[in-house]
Amino acid sequence: MAGRLLSMRALAPRVTLGSAAMSDMKAIIGNREVVGFGYNGQPNYADRSDFPLPAIRWKENTPDVLALREKEKGDWRKLSLEEKKALYRASFRQTFAEFKAPTGEWKSVIGCGLMLISVALWGFYGMKTFVYGPLPHTFEEEYRKAQLRRIIDLQINPIQGISSKWDYEKDEWKK
Amino acid sequence: MSLSKAVGGRLLRQISKSLTGYNRNISFRIHDDDLTCRYECFFSREDLDGWDIRQGMNDLLGYDAVPEPAVIVAALHACRRVNDYAMTVRFLEAVKDKCGGRVNEIYPYIVQEIAPTLCELGCDLPEGLCYHKPELYLPPQD
Repeated sequence: MAGRLLSMRALAPRVTLGSAAMSDMKAIIGNREVVGFGYNGQPNYADRSDFPLPAIRWKENTPDVLALREKEKGDWRKLSLEEKKALYRASFRQTFAEFKAPTGEWKSVIGCGLMLISVALWGFYGMKTFVYGPLPHTFEEEYRKAQLRRIIDLQINPIQGISSKWDYEKDEWKK
Repeated sequence: MSLSKAVGGRLLRQISKSLTGYNRNISFRIHDDDLTCRYECFFSREDLDGWDIRQGMNDLLGYDAVPEPAVIVAALHACRRVNDYAMTVRFLEAVKDKCGGRVNEIYPYIVQEIAPTLCELGCDLPEGLCYHKPELYLPPQD
């Protein structure tokens, strides 16, 4: 991409739009001057840091802009600061500092994400309260103690598992 | 058989040439001498118009490199020839943006090198127009 200009012997040919396409574009862009190739050859405007000079000027050619252009042909030192800024704004919509400025969008992303998570949590609570039936009786404390006693008696997982933690001589947990 | 070998040989040579060229660009120098010279010659052409300058600038800023001061000077003179002031400011903003994370090392050097040209042509740095900080807020449209 970057070397295409130098790799060609002649310059890139201008984009020749057919007369129908040109009048469509003219209708969309109005009176704005087409000044370059832009990023894709179409006469459109985009503030992009990788293609800093767009294909069309930003503002239309109104009489005051045209007057500034006349003044531009002379010595640039004679332009006042406001005129220089006006010339820039006539050609470009935003400066680099403006379009690269942080938008703070991450705050709304995190906020919306957390709000959706809280909706989901309320959903879980609602399901537990209204939809699910009671837990089986096997979840009660007494029943689970009896289950554990039976597991130890059967010596389940005696090498590295639960029975390996039980001292069978003293009939209690290993210290 | 020999035709395909010849084509294969040419392809291999082209690939190796482009690879070595690429390595050379990103290894040590900001810009190759050859590249700098060619862009300087391009911007110094008398019959250049706004369209060509913009094409050249967009191309130049497509490299993963900060342009050499000589090329920047040539581009600024080209802008003067076509009487486009806004283009100079935009180009300088883009050059500063190209410096990336090392802007505090590279940008003062560039400014120092092109200062005489800025004086001569009456150009301004973006800082001169207070455009280094955002001035206007516009809602992002996408």
